[in-house]
Amino acid sequence: MIPRHLEWLGMSHLITALILYGYLIPISLYVSIEVVKVLQATFINQDILMYDEETGTPADARTSNLNEELGQVDTILSDKTGTLTCNQMDFLKCSIAGTQYGASSSEVELAAAKQIASDLEDGDSDLSNFPLRHRKAQVSWENIDKVDEIELETVVTSKGDEDQKHAIKGFGFEDDRLMNCNWLQEPNVDDILLFFRILAVCHTAIPELNEETGGFTYEAESPDEGSFLVAAREFGFEFCRRTQSSIFTRERISASGQVVEREYKLLNLLDFTSKRKRMSVIVRDEEGQIFLLCKGADSIIFDRLSKNGKAYLEATTKHLNDYGETGLRTLALSYRRLEEKEYSDWNNEFQKAKAAVGADREAMLERVSDIMEKELILVGATAIEDKLQKGVPQCIDKLAQAGLKIWVLTGDKMETAINIGFSCSLLRQGMKQICITTNSDSVSNDTKQAIKDNILNQITNATQMIKLEKDPHAAFALIIDGKTLTYALEDDVKLQFLGLAVDCASVICCRVSPKQKALVVRLVKQGTGKTTLAIGDGANDVGMIQEADIGVGISGVEGMQAVMASDFSIAQFRFLERLLVVHGHWCYKRIAQMICYFFYKNIAFGLTIFYFEAYTGFSGQSVYDDWYMILFNVCLTSLPVISLGVFEQDVSSEVCLQFPALYQQGPKNLFFDWYRILGWMANGLYSSVVIFFGTVLIFYEQAFRVDGQTSDLASLGTTMFTCIIWAVNCQISLTMSHFTWIQHLFIWGSIVTWYLFLMMYGALSPNLSHSAYHLLIEALGPAPIYWATTLLATVACILPYLVHISFQRCFSPMDHHIIQEIKHYKKDIEDQSMWVRESSKARQETKIGFTARVEAKIRQLKGKLHKKQSFLNILSPVRT
Amino acid sequence: MASTSVGSNDLTTNRRQTKRPKYSKFTQQELPACKPILTPQAVISAFLIVTIVFIPIGVASLIASRDVVEIVDRYEAACVPSNWTDNVAYIQSTADKTCTRTLHVEKRMKSPIYVYYQLDNFYQNHRRYVKSRNDEQLRDAGKANSTSGCDPERDVNGVPIVPCGLIAWSMFNDTYSFSRNNNNVTVNKKEISWKSDRDHKFGSDVFPKNFQNGNITGGAHLNESIPLSEQEDLIVWMRTAALPTFRKLYGKIEVDLEKGDEIKVVLQNNYNTYSFSGKKKLVLSTTSWLGGKNDFLGIAYLSVGGLSFFLAMAFTIVYFVKPRQLGDPSYLSWNRNPSGH
Repeated sequence: MIPRHLEWLGMSHLITALILYGYLIPISLYVSIEVVKVLQATFINQDILMYDEETGTPADARTSNLNEELGQVDTILSDKTGTLTCNQMDFLKCSIAGTQYGASSSEVELAAAKQIASDLEDGDSDLSNFPLRHRKAQVSWENIDKVDEIELETVVTSKGDEDQKHAIKGFGFEDDRLMNCNWLQEPNVDDILLFFRILAVCHTAIPELNEETGGFTYEAESPDEGSFLVAAREFGFEFCRRTQSSIFTRERISASGQVVEREYKLLNLLDFTSKRKRMSVIVRDEEGQIFLLCKGADSIIFDRLSKNGKAYLEATTKHLNDYGETGLRTLALSYRRLEEKEYSDWNNEFQKAKAAVGADREAMLERVSDIMEKELILVGATAIEDKLQKGVPQCIDKLAQAGLKIWVLTGDKMETAINIGFSCSLLRQGMKQICITTNSDSVSNDTKQAIKDNILNQITNATQMIKLEKDPHAAFALIIDGKTLTYALEDDVKLQFLGLAVDCASVICCRVSPKQKALVVRLVKQGTGKTTLAIGDGANDVGMIQEADIGVGISGVEGMQAVMASDFSIAQFRFLERLLVVHGHWCYKRIAQMICYFFYKNIAFGLTIFYFEAYTGFSGQSVYDDWYMILFNVCLTSLPVISLGVFEQDVSSEVCLQFPALYQQGPKNLFFDWYRILGWMANGLYSSVVIFFGTVLIFYEQAFRVDGQTSDLASLGTTMFTCIIWAVNCQISLTMSHFTWIQHLFIWGSIVTWYLFLMMYGALSPNLSHSAYHLLIEALGPAPIYWATTLLATVACILPYLVHISFQRCFSPMDHHIIQEIKHYKKDIEDQSMWVRESSKARQETKIGFTARVEAKIRQLKGKLHKKQSFLNILSPVRT
Repeated sequence: MASTSVGSNDLTTNRRQTKRPKYSKFTQQELPACKPILTPQAVISAFLIVTIVFIPIGVASLIASRDVVEIVDRYEAACVPSNWTDNVAYIQSTADKTCTRTLHVEKRMKSPIYVYYQLDNFYQNHRRYVKSRNDEQLRDAGKANSTSGCDPERDVNGVPIVPCGLIAWSMFNDTYSFSRNNNNVTVNKKEISWKSDRDHKFGSDVFPKNFQNGNITGGAHLNESIPLSEQEDLIVWMRTAALPTFRKLYGKIEVDLEKGDEIKVVLQNNYNTYSFSGKKKLVLSTTSWLGGKNDFLGIAYLSVGGLSFFLAMAFTIVYFVKPRQLGDPSYLSWNRNPSGH
């Protein structure tokens, strides 16, 4: 270096400085984070509890750079079919002639009953105000809900053989009264017979003979219809053949099991349309009688009943409401007996309408059909379960308790979506449903602006309604269809729409196109600024999966597009709980702690280099040997921080699942806020000051060795570096709360490695080791001041952090601290009721999910009790 | 188990099993772990242990430091004759540089007494200075020509300098001789450098060559008949100091100095620190097990020990005043903040 090339000198000085101060900007952080995330992703892939035995697919983290965001999700946007449901319909229950058949699956009531019972035993505070609470409560319970209890019992008994329940695809019905011709002993045999015939005849399906088993499978327009036919077959009314003009069934009417083939001449078929919401067939049976058999939406059918056809109306309505609340799809079945004359008259009209050509053909047909589908006689109703995937309601419940908002975006029609809402407990009875719709009739007439104004008006009204709601338990559900969404997603409306949606406990968007799904995700993502997760299984979900912060694909049956577009793929929706609540929570905290620590470590180290510059006239001389600086981030401090990022667990996975509220530490970002980052930086600053100035003052000018030699650059630098290695490694051991042998090996191993390195480096030839030659064994090792400085600097460096965490634990412990303590003292085993109680309380306030629904039910029952109570209180003087 | 897949043939079973994650405590993140928690007892004991360890160490180091007797004499200003107004001109002149100083021994000094020179404002740690040497050349007689890095003191008219480089060139060259009551006190200049330097870094067959023959003379001259490994002043000087204020060992006095002794120092004030306003000091010091005189270590130990004692007390009081039962569920956020639930 010759000073006359000043420009060159300046440049080289700049580069020297860049290299030296590069330690302040931890480039190695990126490398370490990448390593950590890949390892975290490996753990996600390896999690045996997210492995689906049925399909043989494990979870797959397809990208590793979103792990920590899994712990910060605020809103989940989920597809319905294939994600929440299996796209399989099961015939579950029916109501015939006002009698309910099929085991009740109202698990909500069961759970509510159980919880009330346990509350009563515990002496729940809400009810303890009442004298004689216990006895009376039980009395009234029996009075009010006798029927319910019977139903509940059947659930309990039928629960045991759940495996059998799903033996037949599409048929989940369980009631011996109707099976094996036992229905012949039932009171309304005629109605039951008719009911079965409607199931077997009123459809458009085609049977297919399965050559292996000899049974029939059905190609139906909708899975509902298929399940009807399966049900009819199981009841003994097997639809076996369809010709141009006839439908053949094999009926087993006698107890002996004799099968009779019957032919129904198909006279007319009145098709199902979404507008008519019903379908009918007109058939002539073998006796020559003509029947109109009609099935359709209950509201439509009920409007068309004849005066004497309403015998079962009241009972059926009650049953339909029950079914609806549990999320079952319902249809009402009815019939009408036709006279020959009446039919032929109508048929002429109908044929005329059919033959008509022109724009009004449709309208004519509809009008004619309408004439016929009147004066119906109600037979009963069916309840079909849109079969949920395994564990979906429980998973949604847990996710809701973890404080996540769940939106359902589906291409299905509104009724189906609402049914699923009920069965997933996203909707419940008593929840105020806000339906935002466009009046479809007026679309053509109104201008676009008018429609938009109308929607905006609806949104504003609904928002007002929510604002004015006083009851804290009131829950709102927003249901919106695709067409309306087109307008609601326009720029001038979307924020109001989002505001309303955020206020609602659950949001269901139906009939949405894939594009709209993506737009909704974008709206939520940008409008709320929070992390969104989209989950879906099909090609139509690709857009939303790509748009969301995190896309999760269900690696199910619907092809690979969703999985290919996703960041994580899981085999079942229910694995989402573990993915978020366990892995997400862990990964978030690990990465947050890791980054904070990394800043600390590199600031502590980098600043000492900087301070030293002030003593060298900013010439770029480093106090450390080049090898120390290289090794600092490569092997002396990297492994402990990687082990922090990979293995740290604040609480075990079971606790994460038991205490879903812990998840909120992520969305609230408690571990990576500015307070924490700056705190760690300040800690790094403090450590650097302590280590640098401490060492400099101790090794200032006087002899550091007993035989009089003073310190030089190498011994000062090495002492300083030893202090840093000790301080940062002890610091990380204070940060961790989970030490397996790996962490111990890495942390203490790093310190040992440093001494080993120093010894080996010093043992190399002086050509290689330069001033570090024999440094440790000759100069530093025998000098007590070296060891004394190390101890002093290490303790002084970690002291403030120790005070901070002790103080925090003492005065404002966080949830995981308490849980760690409970676990540490095994209090969860000693006092199990406390543990169970706390874990049941450990959830975010939520209005959706099974638990919330049970609570709502309890409130409702308690309300009833209350009334009953006051009633009894009034009566009691008379009684005594 | 994949065997639950009813009726599937072996092939699919095998295929499924290959995808099944292997169970091990490691992959399931269930390794046995020790999960220490910070109990009040642990915190207070930690602070107390620090106190118990640090206070004695602090006291011991303070005593050790106080036992060290140190005489410091700054002479660079006093050793310029009063008729010279320009210090730099004086030091660069050929005038006699002898200077006599008297040191008073305030306290008995047991041998060995180490003699140091201390320079101030001398940036021996400047990057370009530190780099300006060649270790190979110093060690190996055959490598006299390897002078890379030694700029600007590489060679004179193409003949390499041994030892080359700025460090050697700028070697300190003041000399001291001591006498007590007119009796000469010998200064032992052997074994004042690091043993490893003498034995391994400076060759016993490497002799100074062409040293200080350039246009600008730096510091000391070297006797060309003595190998580098025995030029201990050079070896000491070549261990560059970390800070701009530094002491270097000059020699050892191997007799005790009694209290009240007057030591007469005759020194040759040759080294030019005037051009950069550097101070020069002569230091006589004994050592303890901890080295020379420096109270800082003891004070720091005592302060940290005292602080942690204070913290231990503070935490004890806090735990008595506001005790919190560990694992008390009423501190959980959902119990503490009922409005949030």
